[in-house]
Formats: sequence, structure tokens, C-alpha cells
Amino acid sequence: MTNPLVPLLQLSDSNFPSGAFSHSFGFETYIQENVISDKDSFAQALIVFLQKQLVFTDGLAFKLAYEAIEEVMFSEVLELDHILYTNGVAKETREGNRRIGEQMAKLAISLYPSPVLERYLECIQNKEGYGHTAVVFAAVFHHLQISKTIALETYLFSTISSMVQNGVRGIPIGQSEGQKILVSIQPYLKSSIEKIIRLSKEDLGAGIPGLEIAQMHHERLHVRLFMS
Amino acid sequence: MNFTGLLELNAKKSDHRSIVNSYYEGALKITRPIYLEEKTPSIYLIHIGGGYVDGDTYYSKLKVEEGAELLVTSQASTKVYQTPKVPVEQHTEIELAKNSTLEYIMDPLIMYKGARFIQKTSVNMGEGASLFYSDIITPGWAENGKGFQYDWIRSKLKVKKNNKLVLFDHLWVEPDGEIQGIMQLEGYTHLGTFIIIHGKADKTFTDQLYEELVPFSGETRFGISTLTAGGVVIRILANGSRKIEELISQAHRFARNTLLGKEQVYWRK
Repeated sequence: MTNPLVPLLQLSDSNFPSGAFSHSFGFETYIQENVISDKDSFAQALIVFLQKQLVFTDGLAFKLAYEAIEEVMFSEVLELDHILYTNGVAKETREGNRRIGEQMAKLAISLYPSPVLERYLECIQNKEGYGHTAVVFAAVFHHLQISKTIALETYLFSTISSMVQNGVRGIPIGQSEGQKILVSIQPYLKSSIEKIIRLSKEDLGAGIPGLEIAQMHHERLHVRLFMS
Repeated sequence: MNFTGLLELNAKKSDHRSIVNSYYEGALKITRPIYLEEKTPSIYLIHIGGGYVDGDTYYSKLKVEEGAELLVTSQASTKVYQTPKVPVEQHTEIELAKNSTLEYIMDPLIMYKGARFIQKTSVNMGEGASLFYSDIITPGWAENGKGFQYDWIRSKLKVKKNNKLVLFDHLWVEPDGEIQGIMQLEGYTHLGTFIIIHGKADKTFTDQLYEELVPFSGETRFGISTLTAGGVVIRILANGSRKIEELISQAHRFARNTLLGKEQVYWRK
């Protein structure tokens, strides 16, 4: 058995080829509108994104998927996949999440195969499911017997970390400024995880309208560095 | 369970037009069907009393049978007052049979100081069914003149087509210090949503609709995107209901015209 730290580091590496590097999830709209223009405005936006969006979508979905896998409830896992996909009202974000999810599932199965992941990938391939990283990560980390909280923390951190890398390229800001954001966001990650633990399925998918509109606007930007 | 208001509506095709059967009790009521158009009845929902108060529960069930058409609106805005103990809950279940059409265009919801409101709407659609749906959330006037005195609103809309989930729209607006900040209401106070579910509402239709709306979109920030299963979601931020209502009415007009081959609705209110 490998050191359990290794897969955590590997899967949360922002160079991990999931395809997330080509999606800004609406941030590029704000960058072009000059609402996000430097380290501080970017860090502030990331905190809102984390607390008001990621907590209720990716974060909570990860927890629910992990618990469903623990209880061997695959139908529940698939239901989460459908909710996550249909929860995206902006096409590019919805499709971006699906593509990254599918890509991650394919890659993860060759690295850390498990029956749940195999079944999920099968569902994606025969169009019974769509694909989302929350489900893929939950399957991999559960299989590697990494505790729910550590796994959740790693998943959220890796999402934020790849957003920071995109910001570094897209705004642009310096690499070391990006790293400072990853440090300053730590307390918010901690409180977000505490919040996710308290949330239930009723809370899943709660979104914020301004962000959705920015994600929709992205479709109509003339020059684009990112696909969403 | 006893509801504060209960409403059941059933529209079916009879000869050349659709007819409505209804049942209601408590604080919910409807007008008699009005035929603004020859074949399609319009129903106006009425709330008896001033508005929704602490602990109120509302349940509505709408069914549009195969090939039938129905227009539903409200007679006035819905007001939610403070809910010190129990949030107000409103559940709406909509069943749209094969080739049926429902246009569900509500007046704004006004959230007053201390109001908490849970709105859950689920729609089940058969093959070829169409849905137009609007929703506007506005903050009520408070004595101290400050906006955003309501506690929160949670609004969930689940749409299934042939029993497969095609839309899970979930908004949770909870005014805090940052409510008008980035990603939330971005300096605006009012929020509108218009949803179209229709087999022909594709990317091309969405782009045409976008061009139609741009001239009317001053003083708003709106976004529009296409749903995979055929449909459009429009989200609008503005500083008053009227701008949102105007955009929704333009979107409704264009969608009716293009997708249903019908003229604009002129509600009698």
C-alpha cells in the first residue's frame, strides 16, 4: 500500500490533468469587466465563491456522495450526479463540470480503480450519468480509506488551488501572490468544511444569481482565454 | 395535513378549447377562467387576506392534461410578512401531460422585514409539453427606509421531463453584509427568473431571444443560457420590479410567438 499522503498530493496538484485549467467558471467575465483586477479583488471573489457556491454544490455533493458510497447506495450517487448537472443554468459551466468530471473519472480509474468508480464511469459512458469531480473524488478517496473530512478538505483545496492558478494566468497576478491567497484562504476553508458537515441534502445546489449571470455572460465574450 | 391555502387546478381539452376544473380551500382562491384567447383559459390566483404570515403553508396542484393549454397568473403581488417562529412554506406540484402547455407568470413576491420563505415547485412534463415560468423576488419597504430587511428566501424548482431531471434551480438569497456584493446581487435589489422548457428552445433560439432582449435591458444586468434538454433560463438583476417585468414580458412575447405561434398575452389586471 502506498503512503496515503501520496494520492492526496497527487490528486490535489493543480498540474493534475483534469482539464480544470481551461475553465474559469465565470471569473473571466469579472476579469474582463475589471471587477477582478488584482490580488485583493481576486481573493475576495474567491472567498465569496467558496462560501456561497462551492459549499452548496461541489463541497456538499462530495460529502453526500462519500456518505452514499459508505452506505453502498449507488442510486443515490447517481441522483447526486443528475442534480449537479441540472443545477448548472449556465451552459458552459454545466458542460465544463461534466467534461472535467468525465476526464477525471477516466484518469482516476487507471490510477486508483475501484468498483464504484468503474460503475460511475460506465454510467457516464452509457449516458445514464453526466460526470462530476465531486463524485469521482468521493469514490477515489473512499476507496483509499481517507477520512471524509480530510478528503473533503483536500477536494476543496484542490478546487481553489486550480482556480488560483487560472487567476494567476488570467488576471494576471504573480505566482507568489497566488500562493499568498492560498494561505489567506485557509481559515475560510476550515469554516466552510465545518459548515458542509452541518448541511443536508435539502441545501444542495443553492446558487447565487450574480455568479450565474457572469457565467452566462461568458458565452458572449469576444476574446476568451477560458472555456467557461 | 391542514394547509393555510389549498388549490387544485385541472385543465383538459374539450372540443376546440381547454376547460378548467378547480378546487380550493382556505386562503387560496381563483377567479373564473377568462378566455383572453379563444382556446386557452386564463386563471388568476387570489390570496384572501393581506399576505403570508408566520407558519403559513400553501399547497397547489396543477394538472394540464394531454394537448390542453393553460395560462396562470396572480391577481396581485404576493407579500410575505415577518415569520418570528416558523417560515412560510409554499409547495406547488405541476403535471404537464403530453403536448400540453402551461404559462405560469406570477406577480412579484415581496419579502418584508423578518420574513423567511420556502418555495418548492416541482414540474413533471411529458413528451412535447411546454412550460413558461416566471418568478420575481423583491425586498419590501421597511419603516426605517432600509432595504433587505427580510431574513431569507429559498426557492427550488425541479423540472423533470419523461421522469428525467432536466433542471434543478435552487436559489438561496440571505441578505447579509455582502448581499449586494460580487456574485450575489451585485449592487441590485430585485431578482427575476424566466424559464422556458420547450423542445425547440435551442441555442439558435436563445441567441435570437438575447438579441430581442438587449434593447429592453437598460438598468438591468441579465444573463441567458440554453438548457441541454431544450429550454432557456434567464436571470435578471435590477433595482425595481418594473424593469424585470418588462424584460420577462418581452421574453414571454418572443417565446410565445416563436415557439407557440401565438400573440402576446395582455393580462386583464
